[in-house]
Order: sequence, then C-alpha cells, then structure tokens
Amino acid sequence: MTGALAVDLAVNGLITGLFYALMAIGLSLIFGILRVVNFAHGEFYMVGAYAYTLIALALGVPAFIALPCAFLFGAFVGWLTERTLMRPLYAGYTSWGLMRDEYAVIVTFGLSLLLVNLVDKTIGPYAYRGPTLIDVSRIAIGPILISGHKLLAAGLAILIIGATAALMRWSFWGRQIRAVAQNRLGASLAGIDTAKASGLVFALSGWLAATAGALLSPVINASPDVGAFPAIKSYVIVVLGGMGSVPGSIIASLAIGVIESFGAVYGSYDYRDTFGLVLLILFLLFRPQGLFGERGREV
Amino acid sequence: MGGDRRTALEFRAALVALAIAALVPAFVENAYWLGVLVVSMYFAILAGAWNLLAGYTGQFSLAPAAFAMMGAYATGLLGNNTGLPPLVTIPFAILATGAIGLALGRVVLRLSGPYLALTTLSFAEIMRLVASNSINVTRGDLGLPVTGLFQNRIGWYYLFLGTLALLLVLLYFLLRSRAGLFLQAIRDDEVAAARSGVDVVFWKTVAFALSSAACGLSGALYAHFAELVTPDLGTVGQTGLVVSMTVIGGMGTLVGPVVGAFLVYLVSEWLRDVGGYQLIVFSLLVIAFARFFRSGLWGIVTGLRRQPA
Repeated sequence: MTGALAVDLAVNGLITGLFYALMAIGLSLIFGILRVVNFAHGEFYMVGAYAYTLIALALGVPAFIALPCAFLFGAFVGWLTERTLMRPLYAGYTSWGLMRDEYAVIVTFGLSLLLVNLVDKTIGPYAYRGPTLIDVSRIAIGPILISGHKLLAAGLAILIIGATAALMRWSFWGRQIRAVAQNRLGASLAGIDTAKASGLVFALSGWLAATAGALLSPVINASPDVGAFPAIKSYVIVVLGGMGSVPGSIIASLAIGVIESFGAVYGSYDYRDTFGLVLLILFLLFRPQGLFGERGREV
Repeated sequence: MGGDRRTALEFRAALVALAIAALVPAFVENAYWLGVLVVSMYFAILAGAWNLLAGYTGQFSLAPAAFAMMGAYATGLLGNNTGLPPLVTIPFAILATGAIGLALGRVVLRLSGPYLALTTLSFAEIMRLVASNSINVTRGDLGLPVTGLFQNRIGWYYLFLGTLALLLVLLYFLLRSRAGLFLQAIRDDEVAAARSGVDVVFWKTVAFALSSAACGLSGALYAHFAELVTPDLGTVGQTGLVVSMTVIGGMGTLVGPVVGAFLVYLVSEWLRDVGGYQLIVFSLLVIAFARFFRSGLWGIVTGLRRQPA
C-alpha cells in the first residue's frame, strides 16, 4: 500500500512542481536581467487566474480560447510593469541613485498591494472557480487516478516550460536576453537593445505566471490574495535553484513540489507551507549562490 | 556639520507634531477617533523603528509587523500563563523581541538587497504561520485575549504618545552620537565603512536588535490596548502599511515616519468610510513617491523652503 501512496505523492508533487516552475522561471529571468526581485510576481499569477476565469465565465467563450487571452493579458501586465516602474532602474532617471535594490523592493511591493486591492474592489473579494479544460473527472494511469484537467494542464505546463527553455537557449531573443543578463554594458556596446530585452523578460515572466494561475484556476478558486503563497514559494525556489538560472529553477521547483507533497503526509500538514521557507533560510546561510548559481563578484 | 543641523531640524519638527498631538484630546472627545489616533501612534513607533533599520542603516527588512506580533504574543502569553502584571510582561516582550532581532540580525548579516528582503519576509511568514497554527498555545486565528490596562482612551492616548516621544528622543541622541554616524556610513557604503574601521557586523546587529525591540514594545502595548492578539498583526499587509507610511513621510528622516503614520492611518480610516479604497490610494502613492519623490513629504516641504533662496 505504501508503494502506491508514494507513487501517488511523487506524481502529485511533480505536477505541483511544474506550476511552481512556471512561476519561478519568470522570477529568475527578471532577477537575471535586472538583479531585482519582483515582489508583485504572485499578482501576475492572480491576474492570470482572474483573466481566464472571467473571460470564460462572463463572455461565455470556451475555455481553450480564454486560456490564450489570459496568457496575453499576463504578458501585457508584465510588459507594462517594466515600462512604467522598472525602466528607471537602468535608464538613469530614478531619484534613488545607488539604492536600486531598495527602489525595486518598494515599487514592486507597492504594485503587489495595488493589484490585490484593485481586484478586491473592482471584482470583489469572493473566490471564483475557473472552468476546467476538459470534463473528465478521473483518468487511471497505472496505479494513479488523476483528473483530466490536471493531466492536460500538466501537459501544457511541460510544453510551455520546454518552449521557454528552448527559446532562452537557442532563439535570437533568448541569446540577447542572456547577453544582457551577463553584462548589460557589454551587451549594449554590442548593439543589443537592453531596454527591449528587459521588456521582453517582463512580458515573458508575466505570461508564465499568468499561465500558472489560469491553469490552476479550477483548483485554487481565484481570490485577490491567491498569489501570496505561490509567490513566496517561487522566491524560495529561485534562491534554491540559484537566482538567474532557468534549469536550476526547474529542478528546485520539482524538488519543492515533491518535498511538500511527502512532508504534508509524513511530516506535518499544518506546517507544510513552512518547509520551503526553513529550507530557504538554511540555504541563504550556507549556500547563498543556490544549487546551480554561480558565485558572482562585483567590481 | 550639515547632517547634524538637518537632524536637529527634523527633530524639532517631530516634537512640534507630537506637541500638536498632545493637545488633540482637548478638542476630540469621540472615543472612536481617539482610538484611531492611538493606532496611528502604534504604527508611528513601528515606522520609526523600521526607518532606523531601512532608512538609516540601509537594511531593508520586511519583518516589522512580525516583530510587533511577537511582542504582542510575548506579553500576552506570559501574562496569561503566570498572572504577572503588564508592568513586568511588557519589558519581557521588549527583551524577547530584541533577542530575536539580535539573532535574526546575526543570521542575515551577509545578505543585502533582495536577499535580505526575501529572508526577512520568509521569517515573518514563518512566524505568522506558527502563531496561527499553534492553536493549543495561541488559540490560533481566534486570537489570544489579553488583560487591559486603562479604563478610558485618554490614558492609552498619553501612554502611546509618551512612548513615541521617548523613542524619538532616544533615536535623536543615537543619531547624534558616533553610533548614528556608523549606521549611516554602513547605509551609504558598507565596504568603505568597514575599511574606515567601522565594526559593520556589530552595528548592523545592534540596529536589528534595537529596531526589533521597539517594534516588540509597540506590539506589546497594542496587545493590552486591543485586549486581543491575533496572527493578523503580523501580515505582509501590515508591513506594507509601515513601509507606505515611512516612504510617504520621508525615509531616512526623523519626522517623516511619524507624520507619515498619522497621515496614512487617519486618511485610511476616512477612506474606509468612503468605500474602502485606502490601500489602492496608498499603494499608488507609495509607487509615485518611490518613483519621483525619494525623500517623501518631508523632502518636498524642505525643498519648497529652500527654493526661494
């Protein structure tokens, strides 16, 4: 019996990990290119869940049309954030001078509060349950039972994570983004439009976070503060995987998903959300560069 | 010295603000608004304490509300379990939160910027989750009932005002001393400060401990004022309010957080009546101030004064 339970926990943990990865990759890319943490990342996720749910329910369009709309909306919110709030960080017109970390923390923290309360006031504090992509409630794969929506969502997540990784690795834009992340000045001297690269990264991470929110919306019941926990999880993951490293984020996401899934059953269910946080503090103390990060040196 | 003159001016402005606050009960008898002002002063202490850490030392902690919550639980739990009077349990809360702050300060010494913000945020969330899940000790989200202290609001009003004034005077003398210079040197350039012989490790830890102890004191007083402690005291939203107050009032100034706390909390109570748009307005203001007016309202005021010259 314990064998079947373990397989079930592992599969569920890995699926949870896939959605963490969608969040963490975007956060990690943002950190890579601007060296800041986006404290509004959970709100991109929340916006994605709402966009999908409301487009599908209010306009009555089928779920598979509402889904791309939610992706695009998330990308738009991300791009807008970069354009209005992040550009001062490198375009040289912030009044904060050298305190760019502090500026970024305050501004994204403010944006997070703003988005939560804006949704709370305009749409309401009630939870919305998003429509499922397909109506098959139970599919048996070997010993595990899984809902059709969850299986499809996990498949889509794998597809999107793979596409993102390939995009970053081989495409023209992906290479430009990596160049800017390595050395902003050097990249701009080589003729790369660094502002465009930053905008692209924010749009991409808005897209990814919104994807996670939209795909999970039948499970999480979107409410204005739904983004808080996924965001904190993805901070943990990004530090564990090494800030700025996409493969690191993916592996750390899957690991956290599995650890939580087992910890909730064999450890303590009430404290399941603290496992990652404790791990984070331990990591920051003993291995701040993360699992796969390179130890940077600023000159 | 320019810095000293600037601090002295800010100190006088803060004293004027507190003097005005001291006269308010002569005109306002409404218990509700007196309560609102008491809560404003609770936040003013938190904002001032956070300002010592973030504004003067450059250590961007996101845990001030968590320390207030821990102070509140410390006094509440000790008082309920031993029957000791608040006169004993409140100093205990100060020491306890100071010690936790000291430990956290040691832990996060090597971190800066986003890493520091993330670690303190995680710490705050862990503490809140522990408080809310340890139901047999803290009664969880139901809240822990705590004994009161005064029968009427006036007593609370002056207790909070006196505490705020005392902390402000202490902060002023701290900033005037060599320690204040050390802290600001760490904020401006940690490496250069260390090279010039500032014991960075020691002073950063001290700043953490002092700031946490002040937050703990404020939380402990609040616990006896509200007669109830809940994990909600330590949410990220509460920290958001503290950050908003400091940034809007003016970070790294003595008077900014105090005036910011009164303004933000009073306006937020007023907006609550209008329809609950307070947090939308404040988050917009925070973004606008961070983006365009780094020195906050106080910076705008002093800027206007300097303009004609």
